[in-house]
Formats: sequence, C-alpha cells, structure tokens
Amino acid sequence: MREGIRDKVAIIGTGVTKFGEHWDKSAGDLIVDAVHAACGEANVDLKRDVEAIWASTLYYWSGMSGWIAADPLRFYGKPVTRVENQCASGMDAVRNAAYAVAAGAYDIVVACGVEKLLDQGGRGLSQEIVHTHPVLAWQSAPAYFAPCAVSAFKEWGWSREDLARVAVKNHHNGAKHPKAHFQMEITAEMVLKAPMVAYPLGLFDCCGLSEGAAAVVLTRPDIARSLVGDSYASIKALALAVETQWPYFRPDWTGLALPANVKAAQMAYREAGITNPRRELDFAVVHDCFTITELLIYQDLGLCPPGEATELVKSGVTAIDGEFPVNPDGGLKCFGHPVGATGVRMVAELTKQVLGKAEGYQVKDANIGLAHNLGGPQAIASVAIVGKPD
Amino acid sequence: MAGILSYGAYVPVWRISRDEIARNSGGGSMAGERAVASRDEDSLTMAVEAGLDCLGSLDSQEIDELYFATTSSPFVEKQGAAIIASALDLRRDVTTCDMTGSLRASVLAVKAAADAVQAGRARKVLVLAADARKARPRSDLEQSSGDGAAALLIGAGDGIARLEGFASAVNAIPGPWKRTEDDYPNVFDARFDTRYGFLNDMPQAMASVMAKCEVGADTISRFALYAPDPRSHMALARAMKLDLKTQLQDIMFSSVGVTGTAHSLLLLVAALERATAGQWLLCAGYGEGSTALLSRATGKIEQEQGKHRGTKYALSGRLLPSYGHFLDFKNEIDTGWPEWQKSSVVRYWRDENSALRLHGMKCRACGGLQYPVSRVCALCGAKDSYEDVRLTRKGKVFSYTHDYLLGPGNVPPDGISPTTRVVVDLEDGCRLWLEMTDPDTSEIGVGTPVELTFRLVNEKSNYRFYGWKARPVR
Repeated sequence: MREGIRDKVAIIGTGVTKFGEHWDKSAGDLIVDAVHAACGEANVDLKRDVEAIWASTLYYWSGMSGWIAADPLRFYGKPVTRVENQCASGMDAVRNAAYAVAAGAYDIVVACGVEKLLDQGGRGLSQEIVHTHPVLAWQSAPAYFAPCAVSAFKEWGWSREDLARVAVKNHHNGAKHPKAHFQMEITAEMVLKAPMVAYPLGLFDCCGLSEGAAAVVLTRPDIARSLVGDSYASIKALALAVETQWPYFRPDWTGLALPANVKAAQMAYREAGITNPRRELDFAVVHDCFTITELLIYQDLGLCPPGEATELVKSGVTAIDGEFPVNPDGGLKCFGHPVGATGVRMVAELTKQVLGKAEGYQVKDANIGLAHNLGGPQAIASVAIVGKPD
Repeated sequence: MAGILSYGAYVPVWRISRDEIARNSGGGSMAGERAVASRDEDSLTMAVEAGLDCLGSLDSQEIDELYFATTSSPFVEKQGAAIIASALDLRRDVTTCDMTGSLRASVLAVKAAADAVQAGRARKVLVLAADARKARPRSDLEQSSGDGAAALLIGAGDGIARLEGFASAVNAIPGPWKRTEDDYPNVFDARFDTRYGFLNDMPQAMASVMAKCEVGADTISRFALYAPDPRSHMALARAMKLDLKTQLQDIMFSSVGVTGTAHSLLLLVAALERATAGQWLLCAGYGEGSTALLSRATGKIEQEQGKHRGTKYALSGRLLPSYGHFLDFKNEIDTGWPEWQKSSVVRYWRDENSALRLHGMKCRACGGLQYPVSRVCALCGAKDSYEDVRLTRKGKVFSYTHDYLLGPGNVPPDGISPTTRVVVDLEDGCRLWLEMTDPDTSEIGVGTPVELTFRLVNEKSNYRFYGWKARPVR
C-alpha cells in the first residue's frame, strides 16, 4: 500500500430502510427509499449532484447489473456498477465508491445495497447461486460456521452457553434500534431451548432472514464541509481480503481463526495507523451472522488472545456500556442479513455513532469505530474504520 | 484356464422388518428382514462398493474389462459400467459393458469373463452384479426382494477357485418381466414360473454342467443357488436330492432378501468364504432359463478368506423405523424438501478426476496433498506442478455439523432428518469436506473413524450426479 485512502473520503449522508420482511416492496422500492434518504441527509440532489453509483446485491432475483439502482432511481446516462462479493458485497460497494472519490474521478458518489430474499422463490437463502459445484462442498449457510463451533468447543472448552451470551447481548441492544427486524430481548434459556439449525447452532445462534436497503453518500472532505458543515464522518480505512471458497478442504483449516478476517483487519489497521485496536478504537459493528462468528471475530480482529473471546462477553467488555462495545445496533442478530445491504448499513451505523446520532443505542465517546463484513464460507472479509475527521 | 482371483460383496446398512411391511400393506409377513438401499444408493453405487471390496489392495490398473450385471440400472440409456470404472479408477482403455435383461445376467457375465480370459484377450476381468429392484408396494416381491451386490475378479490361472465349466438352458417363459414403460416388474404367477421355469431350467443347467465336468452331485460341497423365495429354493434342493444341512448354501432370505441379479454371485461369495482347498462349488442363476457354473477351490482359497468384508456386510444392519421410511428410500413418496433443479453436467464431466475418480493433487514443489485437483497449489502456490493421486478411503472426523436446513438426511428416531457434514482427515493426510451418509448422529464426534463411499449426491438437470461421501465404518 502506498498511502491508502485515510481521511480522503467523507461520509455525508446515510439512508437505511427498516429491516424485516418487505413482502409488499420490490428491491427497487427499497433502493429508492435508502438512496433518497441518504441524499437528503447529505444535502445533495441525486440527479444533479451524484455522478456515479455502486450498488450491491447477491441474488439475481433482486436484480442484475447496474440496473438494480439505475432503473428504480431513473438514474440514467451515468456510471452504475453492480458489486457482488457474497455477503461482503455491501462493504465492497462502499470500498469501490470510496476509491473513485479518493482517485479524484468523481466528487460525489453513492454506495448502496439491497436484498429481497423473499423474492427468491423459496424459503431461506436460495442455494441456486451459492452452490457452485455439482457434487463438491455444499451446505446451508449455518453449516458453513457450525464446524468452527465444534472445533472451538473442543479446543477451548467453549459451550453453547457461551454462544448464547452473544445472542442475549445483541438482542438487548437491538431492542432499542427502530430499524431492527427483531426488536426484542431474549434470554439464555430461549437460546438454548430453540430448535437446532446446524449443530451446535440453534435458531437464536443464527441471524434471521431479512430484507432491506442501505445507502451512503461519499465525497471529498472539502466538499463535505460545504454541504454539511462538521456533520460528516471520515473513512480511515477500507480493506478487503478474499480467501478460499472451500476452506474445509485446506489442510491448515482449524475452524479457530478465519484467515480472511485476520488479513483484512491487519490491512485496515495499517491504513488507519492503528497498532492497538482495543485501545485505539472505541467500538465495533461486526458480522455476527452466527454467535460463534462474533466470538471468533473478536480474536481475529486482535481484541483479545485466542480462546478468550467468551470472557469479553461474559465480563461485559463488549456490552453497549462496556469498555469496548460490539454491535451496539444489535448486529445481524437483530437486523437479519439482507446480503447486499448489510455492509452498507454497517458503514451507516459507524457514521451515526461517530456523529452522536445513534439515539437510544449511542456508544459513549464514540470517536472512531470499526465495521466488519464477512462473506461466503468464512472466505471474504471486509473491514472499514470510520471516525471523526482529523 | 480361468479362475476366480478375488471376491467381494456389499449389502446396504438399512433393513426393514417384513412384519412392519405386512402391518402397513395388509398382507401376510414373510418374516425376517430385507436389506434396503439407502436414499442415495442404487445398483450402480452398490456395484462400486462390491468392486472396492473385491479389489482390496489389488492394483486396479491391472483390470482389462469390467462387466456390470443388473436389471435395475438407474439409466436405460447410459452405461453404468463406465461410471463404475471411473469410481474404481480403472484404466481409460478398459472394456466396459452392462449386462442386463435377466436375473442370470450375473452368471452370464462370469461366463463371458472366463471366455475372454481363456481366449487370451484379457488378463483380469471384474464382474459386478447388483440390484435394487423396485417392487410394487404391497406385492410379495416387495417383501421377498433385498438390495445388494456381489463381485468376482476373473483372471488367468486357477486363482482361488478354478472355473471348471458352464452350462445353460434357455426358456422363453413369461416369468417376471418389466417393459420400458413399467415402474415395477410384472409377475404373472410366481407358482407358474417356479414350476415350469425355475424347477425345470435350474436342474437342467446344473445337470448339464456336472455332466460336462464329470462330477456327481455327491462330490459337490456347496450349491449356491438363486431362488425367487425360500419355498422354491427348498423344492429345488429336494429335486436335486441335496443334503440340506451340508450342501445347500443358505439364501440369506431372513437377513437380506433376494438381491435379484446379484443373488447367485452373492451366494457363491458366501460359499467361497467358507470353502476349503479342493472343494467343488456349484453356482446357478435363473431368468428365462438358467446358467450354472462349476468351480473348484484351490490351495490359495484360505489366503483370500478374511481379506474381504463380503457377506459380513449382511450382519451389520440397522432397522428403518417405519414402512414410511422404506417408501421414502424407494422413492415412492415425495419427501417435500425443496430442491433447486439445475446443475452443470459440463463442470461435472471436466472434474471427473476429483469427483468420480477421487483424485487429489500432490504438489511436486511442496509435497502437499490436496483436494480437489486444481492448477495452483493451495499451500505453496506452485502452478501446474502436481501429480494426480488416488486418495485413501479411510479417515477420521476433524470437525462436523448436523445441518437441519438441508435434507432429507439421515434417519434419527426423532423424525427430524439433518444432513451431517464432516471435515475428514484421510489416512494419507488429505483433508476433505463431505456429506456423511447413513450416520448415527449420536455416534459422531471429533476423531470418529469414517470411510468413504460412492453415492448419489444429487439429481438435477435430469442427470444423476454421483460422488464420494463419508459413512460410519462397517
């Protein structure tokens, strides 16, 4: 990396729809809501001011190509690119959009993401797109991560109770977020008694199936000040690491660490000039698609040594009022995971927190935070660091 | 001269009690249990299992020809033997052939193999016979049938049993038949077929082969005789004046059922498993006539015994909980699981070495063994520098999950059927991520030993995609 994009790109507007089941809305309807909300917050006119859009979606029933944003927004004659990188698609859209601004190609751009899972014609995540080989290595999404839990149970003596604490913590936070799909507190007993989904992950160990859209408006810091004054957040780092689609075939796979997470985090820390993330960052929004994932992410991000992630939850370190809050928004556990939208929503959450606008779930002294978006079978990790402008 | 060089067999793990079938179908029970092919098994996959059992540590590259005898090939047009040859990792120039149409196709296949060897056109011919016949629900055939497979390796020399002679009788009798458009075999009247077919043709072929070899029935130690049911079996033994206690090979009716084309060879395998040097063994199959083969065990027979699982597969059965499970396994009822419908036959064809032949890649640069085969080493990054290596089929579970979102999977008592997935470390050091079939979920943990089995993985784009799965050690 020569210089990276630290403090070269500002986030001046965010738009997030309610996450949940949107039977009566199309992917386009949700994109229109999110993008117009973001533009409104940024004081820009979509057609006049925005020069390009990066839009992420995974499933083809949500849309294909740049049309997923161009058509519903009637945003024609300008660059629109569909970004797809599995469950990390959203943050990768933000990354590509930010690079265009940092490169000086455009002044004002939009990154947005959407997913309409209920439109895919089946229950749950459609396998149509995930299943990439006729006979090798296919399973449901929870089964991608369940073997990690089995390995962690064996290696460190973790238990289903340890996993349950993550779900309870995130539901406690999400209960206060007006955009969350599941705004309810749960108990450890509910988690442990819920039906099994992929052993040892039960229903509440898994994020729900949700729909929604999110958008952010990006520009250079000097333009940001002219549009919104001080009310903008600054991108400190945006990293992406892609690992194998078939991790379990790797002789060195342990299930105890996700190499993509480790590499993306190291890349982001270098770009942002961070050496001790636990001390230098104030909070994090991470990809808790499953409870075990959140615990492994703590370790991969360097928040604690291997094997000690459960202690961070148990002792309240990662609670919303703890020393290092993780998922103050409720995480994927409460928002669900509309694939293309999630990473964009996470960047919007960071922006809200550092601007002090996270009403009801605001982290104290949130000056700089990290968002982590994960795709595929532990394979594609993106890390964003966003803070107050220097 | 041609001889039997090796033998093998396979019986699926699942059993259904005939009382359970009778309770649900309203007829009388024939008592005992019958073997049932798992949801992902068919005659083709069972033939692979029997072939693996037969080949053991023998070099599969030495096989010149492969015959697959069955009446229940999953394909009407497409050669089963070609897929089997790939799964057994045979040479690319092997001569393959399906033999079908009659339940005695198996004995006919052995005869063809012996002829090819004797003529000097082939050194080693692998004969596989398997059947997983569909029987009309509530029919007698549903209870009497069983699913299974048998294998014989025929080659030059006397082997473990010298093939002394063959004889046939042909009879255009309307015994069981199945037209292309039929879902099940038609049975006009089983008693008619037994009286004018079975009890006429079998003695004729048997007498004929004994006369050719100048051996009397008294001299023959074991008679491995196909029969459609125990009563016909006894009638034949009495007609031939056999000593029921010493000469007649048990037909495994109470534990396996009648395995169609495979059955005559399965019984011969059972006889070989107990034969001693110098003993004469007569095997006869039936179907629009009869073919009998006479063999004589050599001094090498005892070295071979114990090397194969053979009919021991019949001993390790697990009972299906209900007739409903049986109908589900026989594809008579829709399980209701949503299935996405398409897959890429082209990609499957291109990846034959990994998907069917179970080849991994051994990197020439770093020595790392990996699966599936791909051009660049996952460990050191060396490009296009590897050898294809056939992987071992035994290993241990490194990690696992029971996936309740994908099904239908195994058969636990609670009625919920998760699909078990395992990360397996093979004995050769290669690591695989596999579906586990026929699991007992309560017996799977980190470190559990497993072995690899060739199964149907899915059925999409109107094609049958076969591949490798893990299963409990049997």
